Amino acid sequence: MSAPAGQDQGGAPLLDVHGLTVEYATGRGNLRAVDGASFAIAPGRALGIVGESGSGKSTVAMTLLDLLGPEAGMSAERFTFEGEDLLDPVAARRKALRGHRIAMVFQDPGSALNPAIQVGRQIAEPLIRHRGMTQTQAAARVQELLAEVGIPRPADVAAAYPHQLSGGMKQRALIATALGCEPRLMVLDEPTTALDVTIEAQILDLLEQLRGKHDLSILFVSHNLGVIERVCDDVCVLYAGRVVEQGAAAQVFAAPAHPYTRGLLGSLPRPSAQRLSRLTPIPGRLPDLTRAPAGCIFAERCEHAEAGCGKPQEPRALADGRTVRCWKAEAIAAGAPPTQAMAEAPPDAGPAAAGAPGTTDAGALIAVDAVGKTFRLGGMLAGLRFDFSGGFPLRTDPPKVRAVDGVSLRVRPGEVVGLVGESGCGKSTLGRLILRLIEPSDGRIAIDGHDVTGASVAALRPVRRLAQMVFQNPDSSLNPRQTIGQIVRRPLELFGIARGAEAQAKVVELLGMVRLAPEYAQRYPHQLSGGEKQRVSIARALATSPKFIVLDEATSALDVSVQAAILNLLADLRDRLGVAYLLISHDLSVIAHLADRVAVMYRGAVVEEGPSAQVLAPPYHPYTEALLSAVPVVGLKDRAAQRVRLKGALIGGGAVRGCRFADRCPRRIGPICDTETPPVVEPAPGHRIACHLPLEALRAVPPVFGAAAPHA
Amino acid sequence: MIGYLIQRLLTVAGILVVMSLLVFGITQVMPGSVAHMILGEFATNDQIAALEQTLGLNDPWHVQYWRWASGFLVGDFGQSLTMQRPIAPLILDALGRSAALAGLSFGFVAVIGLWLGILGAVKAGRFTDHALAIGQYFFIAVPEFFWCIVLIMLFATTLGWLPATGYAPMSDGFWRWLSHMVLPVGTLVTGLIAHVSRLTRSAMLEVLQSTYVSAARAKGLPERTVLWRHALPNALLPAITVLAVDVGILFGGIVVVEVVFAYPGLGRMIVYAIENKDLPLMQAGVLIVTAIYTMANLVADLLYAWANPRIRYGRSVA
Amino acid sequence: MSGAPASPPTSPAANGTANGAANGALRRRRLPRQLVIGGTIVGAIVLLAILAPWIAPYSYDAFDIPNRLKGPSAANWLGTDEFGRDVLSRVMVGAGLSLSMGFGATAISLAFGVPLGLMAAYFRGLAEEAIMRTIDVLISVPPIMLGLLVLAVSDPSLWKTMLAVGIIYVPIMTRLSRSVALGLMEEEFIQAARARGAGARWILFHELLPNAWPPIIVESSLRVTFAILLASALSFLGLGPQPPSSDWGLMIAEARQFLDDAPWIAMGPGIALCVLLIGINLVGDGLREVLDPRLKKRGAA
Repeated sequence: MSAPAGQDQGGAPLLDVHGLTVEYATGRGNLRAVDGASFAIAPGRALGIVGESGSGKSTVAMTLLDLLGPEAGMSAERFTFEGEDLLDPVAARRKALRGHRIAMVFQDPGSALNPAIQVGRQIAEPLIRHRGMTQTQAAARVQELLAEVGIPRPADVAAAYPHQLSGGMKQRALIATALGCEPRLMVLDEPTTALDVTIEAQILDLLEQLRGKHDLSILFVSHNLGVIERVCDDVCVLYAGRVVEQGAAAQVFAAPAHPYTRGLLGSLPRPSAQRLSRLTPIPGRLPDLTRAPAGCIFAERCEHAEAGCGKPQEPRALADGRTVRCWKAEAIAAGAPPTQAMAEAPPDAGPAAAGAPGTTDAGALIAVDAVGKTFRLGGMLAGLRFDFSGGFPLRTDPPKVRAVDGVSLRVRPGEVVGLVGESGCGKSTLGRLILRLIEPSDGRIAIDGHDVTGASVAALRPVRRLAQMVFQNPDSSLNPRQTIGQIVRRPLELFGIARGAEAQAKVVELLGMVRLAPEYAQRYPHQLSGGEKQRVSIARALATSPKFIVLDEATSALDVSVQAAILNLLADLRDRLGVAYLLISHDLSVIAHLADRVAVMYRGAVVEEGPSAQVLAPPYHPYTEALLSAVPVVGLKDRAAQRVRLKGALIGGGAVRGCRFADRCPRRIGPICDTETPPVVEPAPGHRIACHLPLEALRAVPPVFGAAAPHA
Repeated sequence: MIGYLIQRLLTVAGILVVMSLLVFGITQVMPGSVAHMILGEFATNDQIAALEQTLGLNDPWHVQYWRWASGFLVGDFGQSLTMQRPIAPLILDALGRSAALAGLSFGFVAVIGLWLGILGAVKAGRFTDHALAIGQYFFIAVPEFFWCIVLIMLFATTLGWLPATGYAPMSDGFWRWLSHMVLPVGTLVTGLIAHVSRLTRSAMLEVLQSTYVSAARAKGLPERTVLWRHALPNALLPAITVLAVDVGILFGGIVVVEVVFAYPGLGRMIVYAIENKDLPLMQAGVLIVTAIYTMANLVADLLYAWANPRIRYGRSVA
Repeated sequence: MSGAPASPPTSPAANGTANGAANGALRRRRLPRQLVIGGTIVGAIVLLAILAPWIAPYSYDAFDIPNRLKGPSAANWLGTDEFGRDVLSRVMVGAGLSLSMGFGATAISLAFGVPLGLMAAYFRGLAEEAIMRTIDVLISVPPIMLGLLVLAVSDPSLWKTMLAVGIIYVPIMTRLSRSVALGLMEEEFIQAARARGAGARWILFHELLPNAWPPIIVESSLRVTFAILLASALSFLGLGPQPPSSDWGLMIAEARQFLDDAPWIAMGPGIALCVLLIGINLVGDGLREVLDPRLKKRGAA
């Protein structure tokens, strides 16, 4: 091992790790999950560890707190914290650091809090353990901590059980727990991945503020490059257990010197009004870590690979202080930055952009009119309760949720409509309502002129052929007991499109359309990677030559480098086949990348709708503005100066009076927001915003993404 | 919570009504009439008809059912055909003795079973765990009716330490009573302890894999605290369900054990009633056992709800 | 993720690019040890039961009064009973009875329980309420009481015991297959089938059932054990096959009078029963390891 990993910040690093290796014994030999990782964190600095799934990034975080099980074989040449050896053979001394001077925040706040213990008591535990506080002292300190992490009613939250808190609240409580003993180093393992983007922004703000106040050092693990850039000073890019590039975050993101870092950045879709014509995905898949190649671990997926890459690659320092594990690093860093490959505004933003966007039904493939869905919760007696205000004292009042509330939407042939919103806003329900996987409670839906709202199963059949769906989870959307061939073939037979040898040929053709080789027909889903499974799902949806496909978070479960390939594929298919998409996603970047028109949903209703370029630039609905300013985007860190933040979290259910966004709105004008249904203003034809604010006020809002965005 | 309680109570009432109908229905499908059974084989048709008249056997079935069921509600279980005595006091006596057997066994099973399960999970993969696993395999597979014979041969016949069969009331002295309880209880608990400890072990192991246990360790809490405060309460929830299921298995065991040890409990009484075609006695016995079992399940459900904060406390504070 | 050791705790969110392929390759092909040992035991007993008429040294009901209550010897490996019948021969023939009661009862509970459960999960609404409330009632009766009730109605026999035990376990199978099917109904491949307009029959038999089998099979192996235990307990109480049948439960019941003089009469069938049950339990655990639905679930999480 060469190259000291510590940044030259002067003084001894707080954490110094050199040559960290973690191995697991498997039936097929040793699996090296982390291989010779070296890094250091100076006091007060924040180091980001970034990588895709399988990179070993969480394993690194776990080693710091000694949380790996006995089956993991860990070794390191040097592993010190504040000068103390973390590899101390005396386990007790290692453990003394946990929770006290090193604290950890886990990914999923829902499972990191013990469901059987009150939140306050859980926060108090390390205080009592490490600080020797009494129960009363600790309880008082818990209230202070909860207040410090921005929890409005600390006493109530301390007395609550975890299931009574929202995700964002739980994560705040966990941060309070970690802060309790005033640790020097805080390890955060994907702390915002399970949260909605507006809540993520709140948590990142909180971290920034706490860091300044407590002189905290941070080790931040994430797959999200934007989040890492926002939080961290230094960054360490991990691929297949090896650190491939590390250095100051600004340098690494501006001019990546390792082909993998470049690949990651090139794969990222951006939520700007200007559209990248194509993303550059990374081909291939992670190597088998039990049989790692002798040479560069990334060589087989690298576009710069050549003969010299067969030699083992060691980390080496570049002139600018970075460490890169590639012998061609200088040449690669000098190349054009992948992020600037911004194309001219797309030559044709989909066939639909040409036609005048309007409310007219003429030519609409999908027409959704005032559709609503109310779910009843619980069983027959779930709402049973006593009521002594008169009449029979036992009432049943089943709890109901209005998941979709009077939504109208048009999708024209060949058009991509993006539907964006946070979890629980009703976007997935709407997608399923359109395909009648769920029965609508009210409203009307027509597909290609056929009213499907009341149609019988038989009457629905021809329509089913026209409208298909691709689901979110590649692991559950293919029947594990059928081969890929059978899966793709089934719709052909069901609709009598092709039989026998003809069907066989058609399957091969469909697989070809999603760029899978014909051999895949014989394989089973578990033999495929996530991206390949998603391609099969798309092929299955295309089998009936549909005119319309609902893509329900179709790329959300994928790594960015794989997502990029699927997004490219979807764009190509749209151009070739003229198929229309309803693209449902929580990720504005994905929506902005592919959609011709965007609808923004909040609590069951569409609050803004219009052509992409117009929705992504002012005038905005205040919720759209908040969403845009919450998305962490690489290369747009400066935007932080003017960001808008939402209070609280989305609360679902119930009927709404006034504006449904009023309670969280940063631009709320007054009581009118709570009482009156907001009017719909139309700043441009086809661009509609439901808000009480006058149009001039909305137009006056500065664009979230600098001046670059053109006015539509 | 109130809705839940009412729902559960309604279900229990429904089950008891349906069960009483089922049990009553048996009299209707049984070959031969009750009067025939009482009077024996040499009764004349006139005698039978007369008795049927007095017993109301010619009434429509729902009238008969109501007479029988309403008697039950006020504690009148009818007359035993073979013993010519009111059933209620008979059953009450037998029930008390069975309850002693069941209560003692259940206590042992709950305490030892849970403890061994936790031990197995904590020592997972080590010698203790393997030894426990082998014991569990063996004891789950040994049927009670064979196991009690083995115990009798060992402790009564060969060693002569304990009485082979029979029952001594507490009034004969505590030690005498206890000596008659050891073998029946010993027979009943082994299989159930194996069962409970095995399922507790897997529940505990699952909890030990959870993020909140990792989080507790990351806080630097001693392993003891992690285990007893963080893991155990969550592992006990599924254990409650297991214990409730085992009550049913325990009842089966009690019937067998009472027969083998000539223990004068409710199980033996029901088997006696079936063997001797004593219908009223059988009906009462089966119905009582079902009622107790249903109540045990209700208690388990309520315990579960109470121990689970998700059910005990509503939603949403912030 | 399956193949647990192959996937060290990287990001739990990892819905990996390479994971699928790596796991496919790493999926353990070797059969678990329990399955091999248990399979051998059960297989041997099944074989003995089938071949018993030909290889048993004596007929199971041939009296030989002069040789009654003889201990194990070269002529009678497990001794003789009160009528001088050869215990070994009786145990061999009895194996068939225990096996057929156990597997037969489980088959009955599967035949009724699985369709009911799948129907409840697929059709929901009123059909589900009706099925599940009936099941609630049936499951609230202690198994032994239900068995006693059924057998009290008529004269006991092998078939009736099998039927009674089978019916007792119908509710458990119904509940299990319903909950498995409900879980699967949420899976996206079922949604996909519904989205393309596939019919109920196709979804139930081609999409649902093939994926519902693993947990049902695991549970069935457990049920076979309980069925054999319950059936032999009932025949021990005299509510099963009648003399001179050589059902193990009945044999042990008959041997009780001679425990002091001839314990081997009870030992033969008793130990055979234990060995059979241990074997079946081992098979069940082995199957669970191969088919564990939760291992799969984790992959889909």
